Amino acid sequence: MVKPIITVEHLFAQYGDTQVLKDVNLEVNPGEILVVMGGSGSGKSTLLNHMLGLKTPVSGTITIDGVNIFTAKSKQLRHLRQKMGVAFQGGALLSSLTVADNVRLPLEQNTSLDTQTIDIMVRMKLELMNMAGTGHMMPSELSGGMLKRAGLARAVIMDPKLLFFDEPSAGLDPTTAVELDELILTLRDAMNMTIVVVTHELESVFKIADRVVVLFNGEVVANGTVDEIKNSPDERIQNMINRQPNTYRDDGEVYFNRLLDKDNI
Amino acid sequence: MNIEIEQQNNYQVVKLYGEVDLSNSRSIKLDIIKLIKSKNNVIVDFTHLQYIDSSGMASLVEAFNEAKENHTEFHIVGANGSPLQVLQLTRLNTVFNLADSVGAVTHNG
Amino acid sequence: MTALFNAISNLGAATRKNIDSLGLATMFLLRIVSSLFTGLVSFKQVLKQIYFIGNRSLIVIIVAALFTGMVVALQFYDTLVRFGSVDLLGSAVALSLIKELGPVMTALMLIARVGSATCSEIGIMRNEQQFDALDCMAINSYRYVMLPRLLAALICVPILTAVFDLVGISGGYIVGVHIQGENPGAYIQGVLDTISFKDVLVGQIKSLVFGLFIMWIPLYYGFYLHLNQKNMGAEGVSNGTTQAVVMSAIIMLFSDYIVSSLAL
Repeated sequence: MVKPIITVEHLFAQYGDTQVLKDVNLEVNPGEILVVMGGSGSGKSTLLNHMLGLKTPVSGTITIDGVNIFTAKSKQLRHLRQKMGVAFQGGALLSSLTVADNVRLPLEQNTSLDTQTIDIMVRMKLELMNMAGTGHMMPSELSGGMLKRAGLARAVIMDPKLLFFDEPSAGLDPTTAVELDELILTLRDAMNMTIVVVTHELESVFKIADRVVVLFNGEVVANGTVDEIKNSPDERIQNMINRQPNTYRDDGEVYFNRLLDKDNI
Repeated sequence: MNIEIEQQNNYQVVKLYGEVDLSNSRSIKLDIIKLIKSKNNVIVDFTHLQYIDSSGMASLVEAFNEAKENHTEFHIVGANGSPLQVLQLTRLNTVFNLADSVGAVTHNG
Repeated sequence: MTALFNAISNLGAATRKNIDSLGLATMFLLRIVSSLFTGLVSFKQVLKQIYFIGNRSLIVIIVAALFTGMVVALQFYDTLVRFGSVDLLGSAVALSLIKELGPVMTALMLIARVGSATCSEIGIMRNEQQFDALDCMAINSYRYVMLPRLLAALICVPILTAVFDLVGISGGYIVGVHIQGENPGAYIQGVLDTISFKDVLVGQIKSLVFGLFIMWIPLYYGFYLHLNQKNMGAEGVSNGTTQAVVMSAIIMLFSDYIVSSLAL
């Protein structure tokens, strides 16, 4: 039995008075791709923020590579973070730096490698992302897809053990989305990365996931392999898979009343 | 990570054991470049190398470049497992002269 | 009765909220200052910020100083001439600029130019998750983003204030001597006689204090943009910037009074 590399235990989170996560438990095993799936408002982004240590919960623990991230000393947390890469939704590049300087940043700040070595590593990662020759450009000059790829190059520049994706396919055209899926699979296989993907794009999920966790209103409603999820008896999950909003199943009269309901706006 | 350097025919063979990563890639690079600057032909033996990261790869690219400028030979042999996958992923297998073993290089040289 | 109670509890809530903000802002400043000891601040970054604050505001400061000096001289001349004390013009212009108008006008110009730009920039960084990214890369955003800007402000503002003073006094000279025909020697002598080291020091201390607020407040409003739920997106950045500029100006004027009264 291999020990999980990420463990989330009894996580409760709140935004003001709203409960955003309720008793979330999950594990991520080394070398696997875990997809956290859910509609908007399901709490999946909040869960990711907690896993990254960007937010603290009301209660619960998250252990990553043996480190309890909410109680760790800052030096321990720093060491852990250097083993983690995060690909944010819009790339989250620093607007005042060129693409190359952005990708180079973790190396410059956290290692003592020679500039020449760093330059080559940056070029290698940009080549991997099909972004060769774009190093001199500023983030404001890049398209949405290029921003994501530059952000991903930066996320993997230190060959992290753990990689996190926040909505990787959002805003990408289908071809680029497929390329990105392939890249995620390659990163797991060739670099032995453990990958956590937060998304609501079904096609990606079924293609890349080793396991899937489904969130609904802040609760885990399913946790298993792709096949287990596809065969889940849970109505909400079946609706999600069949892309049916829950309300379509209401009969004509209920629908009619809803159209006229003054409060339904 | 262990490193053994021995002479075979007119090559310096650098055997890498274990893992090359951020903690040791720079010092390995400096060792290899020192050999190259002393006009040695270098073979880097990957047979017992279990893991090499991008900093290690970049360091070898720099060493290779140094060898070109010094007009000496530079080979990588015995790549297998994860290091071989990384060479393929980064397409550096098209850049370096990869061979199966030290013998394959020294017998042809 | 309930209306009265509501009013009181609203006042209480607002007061608590403001004290909370004050506490948060103070912690924020302390974190920036303490990051100085966590490692070397990037010299390159500080220089970049000095260029942004200093170079690009220089022309504006010079133009503002020139006209301020000229109008101050004009007004003083008008009053002094009635008392037959026109040879006091140099002293009057110099004193009012060095002790008060120089620091305050420079600060206001910089609040408008630098304060608003900084708050927008930091606010946009917050919106685009750039600070989250820095945290995840184990890079200290206080040392990497905030500290260079704060240091640059503390360096530039006193220098720019000195420039304002000099240009303003020259503007006064142009009005007093060339327009009103007063004795150049009297003007200059007046300046040199009346201005003491203490006056200059107080002026520079004021500008240092203003420099702190000019940078600290916009940084704070930009950085904590996301705490106010209504503040997401472009409208949020614009709101935050407006608040930052207004608050900077008010606090600057308030501290102006405090420093002035402490100095006298």
